[in-house]
Amino acid sequence: MNSLNLILCAVAAAALDLCTLILIITAYREKRSATKNWDWIANSMELAEQGMVYELGCDEILIGRHASADIRLPDLSVSRYHAMLTVSNGRWTIIDIGSKSGVFVNGNLVNEAVLHENDIIKLGNRRLIFRKRRNDNVR
Amino acid sequence: MYANPVAYIFSCIFVLLAHCSMLANIYFNGNYETINSVIVLGAAVLILDIVYFILMLFFKQISYAVDFLLILILNMSVIFQSCFGGVSFNLRHYITCIAALAACKVGFLFCRNYKWLQDQKLYIYGGIGVLMVVILLFTGARSMWIDFDGFSIQPSEFIKPLFVLACSTSIMDQQRKHKILFFNVVYENFALFGLTAAIVLLQWWCRDLGSLPTFMGIYASGFLLRICYPKAKFSKKKLIAAGALLIAVGLVAMKFAPEYVQHRLHVDIWSDKTGDGYQQSQALIGIASGGWFGVGAGKGNLCNVFAYDCDIVFSTICEEWGLLYGLMMVCVILIMIAIPLINPPRSYFHGTMSAGVCAAFVVQMALNIFGSCNLIPFTGVTIPFISTGGSSMVVSGLMIGMLMACQSPVFKEPKKPKKKAKPVPAWRWTE
Repeated sequence: MNSLNLILCAVAAAALDLCTLILIITAYREKRSATKNWDWIANSMELAEQGMVYELGCDEILIGRHASADIRLPDLSVSRYHAMLTVSNGRWTIIDIGSKSGVFVNGNLVNEAVLHENDIIKLGNRRLIFRKRRNDNVR
Repeated sequence: MYANPVAYIFSCIFVLLAHCSMLANIYFNGNYETINSVIVLGAAVLILDIVYFILMLFFKQISYAVDFLLILILNMSVIFQSCFGGVSFNLRHYITCIAALAACKVGFLFCRNYKWLQDQKLYIYGGIGVLMVVILLFTGARSMWIDFDGFSIQPSEFIKPLFVLACSTSIMDQQRKHKILFFNVVYENFALFGLTAAIVLLQWWCRDLGSLPTFMGIYASGFLLRICYPKAKFSKKKLIAAGALLIAVGLVAMKFAPEYVQHRLHVDIWSDKTGDGYQQSQALIGIASGGWFGVGAGKGNLCNVFAYDCDIVFSTICEEWGLLYGLMMVCVILIMIAIPLINPPRSYFHGTMSAGVCAAFVVQMALNIFGSCNLIPFTGVTIPFISTGGSSMVVSGLMIGMLMACQSPVFKEPKKPKKKAKPVPAWRWTE
């Protein structure tokens, strides 16, 4: 193989490398638009309790006492897997998944309920508020 | 329409650049009789690139990175396959690549809304059942192909995407537990285990043992994500138990494996170079003779060995294009299936689906490449998108479409038919 062919092979390999790198950067850039799209789907909501804010980052969020729950509430009055938050068509719904102490939304015992902004959710002794996400930079 | 036109244009330019550099390499360094064959190949590759770049804009997606990687690898595959044993445009492979692109878009459209897919789970199980019956009735006990006039299809390949869908699950599905004696069980998990057992038995019956690790890989990913959901808190006890079970099953399978498989496990390819070790020894010689930069497109000798374009395709590429290019080709496929790590799916169902697709691709590639390099016994499994074969191409396209769907999901409840209101009896008092 002469030197010209060697250079051509190296150039082809370098072009493929560069292309792959560009596509990885494209994927990272697209992550931003994916996050924006998710905020639109999830209505930019969050769950908060005193001193704690929980992000709602996926469409099925398991709330419970168990270490593997998405939102962990380490309180004996909360079941291991207590309730689930799901989003569909831009609406969040809370579903009781067989808890011992039940799910209360604005004081009413529910099995399944569509959540609205500023709803108070009571799971065992824990009270959570379902609210719009707040910007940390704004006081 | 693509949200970021700058990224779109740059991605298009660099994909075209990668293909043009390969074509230039063929022009200066390739083995061809007339320049026309290089022109036809170049025109076909660039036209497919440009047409796909335009077509993909008609699909409303959040992420297009997988699309770009797919067209990059597919046209690389067209170039590789057209150069084996002399440059001439491989029309058959080109058509299967177009079929793979179409299948990819079909997979994307079908899998975007997982809530709809969940409702179709029974049909998915039914589809796998129908394909298994087709294999039982039409392929015969020692075969996996159904022959038609001029072409043949491998029905077991089509089970793979359906099996990935069957293995996918949502957290809600896993919460639908039923109490049997003292245990809370999920019926679907038992159904999936039964289905896996049936597939394993069927594959064993038709001696398609090469596909078995792929199915087991898909099931293993589904199984792990079921026992370790939802935050993938890997329970050490469960993992050790699963690992021990896997080793036990492997040992039993090796003990009762058919004679030809046992022979392959122990064959020394260098002492049996002209017999059972012929393909692997030639494949290794091919990789060695190619070196880092290859002998040149169309100048290799592996095209005289059986299954040079499917089973030992990695060695054929390494011989003609060099080990560096062969490894980079593998990297491109790995990056394509690793895109969910950059942009993770927002639903557990799509997460498990991505894991299933990745498992299938990784196992297939590992079996082919390690088989070619004599690190494991030869299995005859194809490398997705690189090896020839219509069934494999279409199915790989479908699975990549599923991966795209995980990147651009839709969260909508499927429309359920409205129940007709009962007619009000004429005698009822109304105000």
